[in-house]
Amino acid sequence: MLAVMEKELRMFFRYPLRVVSSIIVGIVFLVQFIFFGQAVLGGRYSSMLAASTGMGDYPTYALIGYVLWWLFTSPIEAYIFGIRRELQRGTLEINMLAPLRTIKFLIGLSLGWILIDNVLMGVVFLFGVCLFKIPLSWGIILKAVPIFMLAFVAFLGFGMIFAGLVMLFKNIGALGQIFEFLVMFLSGVFFPLNVMPYWVRAVGNAIPLTHAINIVRGVFVGKSYAEMASSLQALLLLSTAYWLISYGIFRWAEKITRVVGYGGY
Amino acid sequence: MNAIEVRELKKSYPKKIPLPLRRVEWIEAVKGISFEVKKGELFGLLGPNGAGKTTTIKMLTTLLEPTGGEAKILGYDIKRDAREIRKRINLVAEGERTLYWRLSAYENLKYFSRIYYVPKNKEKGRIEELLKLVGLWERRNDLVMGFSRGMKQRLAIAKALINDPEVLFLDEPTLGLDVQSALFVREFIKKLVEEHKKTVLLTTHYMAEAEELCDRIAIIDHGKIIALDTPEGLKRMITDEDAVEIKVKDFAPSKLERSPFRMAVVKEDASTNMLLLRGQVVEEELPKLVEWLVRRGAKILSVEQKEPTLEDVFIKLTGRAIRD
Ligand SMILES: Nc1ncnc2c1ncn2[C@@H]1O[C@H](COP(=O)(O)OP(=O)(O)OP(=O)(O)O)[C@@H](O)[C@H]1O
Ligand SMILES: [Mg+2]
Repeated sequence: MLAVMEKELRMFFRYPLRVVSSIIVGIVFLVQFIFFGQAVLGGRYSSMLAASTGMGDYPTYALIGYVLWWLFTSPIEAYIFGIRRELQRGTLEINMLAPLRTIKFLIGLSLGWILIDNVLMGVVFLFGVCLFKIPLSWGIILKAVPIFMLAFVAFLGFGMIFAGLVMLFKNIGALGQIFEFLVMFLSGVFFPLNVMPYWVRAVGNAIPLTHAINIVRGVFVGKSYAEMASSLQALLLLSTAYWLISYGIFRWAEKITRVVGYGGY
Repeated sequence: MNAIEVRELKKSYPKKIPLPLRRVEWIEAVKGISFEVKKGELFGLLGPNGAGKTTTIKMLTTLLEPTGGEAKILGYDIKRDAREIRKRINLVAEGERTLYWRLSAYENLKYFSRIYYVPKNKEKGRIEELLKLVGLWERRNDLVMGFSRGMKQRLAIAKALINDPEVLFLDEPTLGLDVQSALFVREFIKKLVEEHKKTVLLTTHYMAEAEELCDRIAIIDHGKIIALDTPEGLKRMITDEDAVEIKVKDFAPSKLERSPFRMAVVKEDASTNMLLLRGQVVEEELPKLVEWLVRRGAKILSVEQKEPTLEDVFIKLTGRAIRD
């Protein structure tokens, strides 16, 4: 599994320009949204936001949402583009031929990209912290890290649904991206969910990102884990559920792929 | 014990992804084939494009689920024991996209030795040995991207030996190679069987290659084995007659379908409107054949007698020639 990841990283760093462009796109996107949000709210602090979510500082609110959204989307992208690259290179089949288990191959394939992607995320986060003077303390960081890790495990399972889908339908990159942006609204990344109709909130609650964002925002305003127990429970539950669901989908996709042929482009 | 046992193996491809509740049509690619390959044997699957050679190899290497029938590799069932089989076999797949072009030769082999769980203490030695064996040791740190087609194929063969497989599958190993590289690959395959005692199953549509390399050959056409024997045995099917090659001009090959003679087009030159026909004709029949052709507007340019080859076996069995 580590070998698969190492090979991906090696090939990635033969094109270093991509790193720079990803960071710039990430920063531009974030800054744009925060300034837009502030313009709408008429300032950095919003009592409306504070009343509905418990966090009134919009840049902090948005930055947390954005960073977690990034963490959420990176496994999805990693699976989709990892497998697509293998299909385009025509090398998927020779990997399937080896005794290495397919699931390990896939996780190895995506971990390399996720690692790079999250380092980029870290850079954008720090940039955001400096630019908007986000109040950050070691206590908050230490308390947020376990949540990030828990969330990441959930996201990794969720993303694997897409691994199965790419194996079957090959070219679903666009679908993946539409989904990612949809989630931005469903999970309350830049806007509070309360302003959304009931059914949007219902769908949002089925996405692990929604709960992860809630918990981390809670950590930033000083809530204890116990106060957020229901969100934590939901995150754990969804994590388990999505691992099971996506593994099922993946096994099913693998079975059908072996009937159709791994093929390529 | 047999290294490979195949019984009534069948494969149909769906025309669309077979989702639940979706009606799909199926194309029969392999229609029930049976054969055995003994340990240490070099066995060939010979057939024209689309005969089902690659499909057969993919089923035997556990990459494709068969539609019917069964097969055993080294006693393991291809459906149930895929992982056991994968540890003990390897494949040189068709085409040149079977390696990572953005990695060096060395990095490629290192990667594959990891996913084949080659013991760490053997890894370095094995990679070095293999790179030297295929003559790429000096180029080990160059990216595969810059390699010639022949070098890529040699590296693909080295990769296929990384787990020291007992059974090696080669799909059209010399397709698209220059003469010199093809020669190297053929000699190398012979060496694998003779010196390293490997069992090899290869596919090809080159008659001469099959004849030169294989202990036994199965001729496969439209998903069926139509003959299976040693090269000598196959040629014995036709020694009572001679092979004739006739060069003609201005003749529509479709007319051959209703001819009483088993002749096939082996070469076609559209720009000069010339055809090279080949088939078996006993000497007394030859004038009749020429007359038959002339009456259908053909201009005869030359008539030559030839030593029978495997090509003639195929023509005799199918009325067609194997062509690129
Ligand atoms: N993935 C696939 N989906 C649908 N049909 C396929 C697929 N792969 C092969 N076929 C069809 O199955 C038949 C057998 O193909 P196969 O590739 O096994 O032939 P082959 O003997 O290897 O030919 P070639 O000399 O061209 O490599 C062909 O008619 C082909 O069109
Ligand atoms: Mg083929």
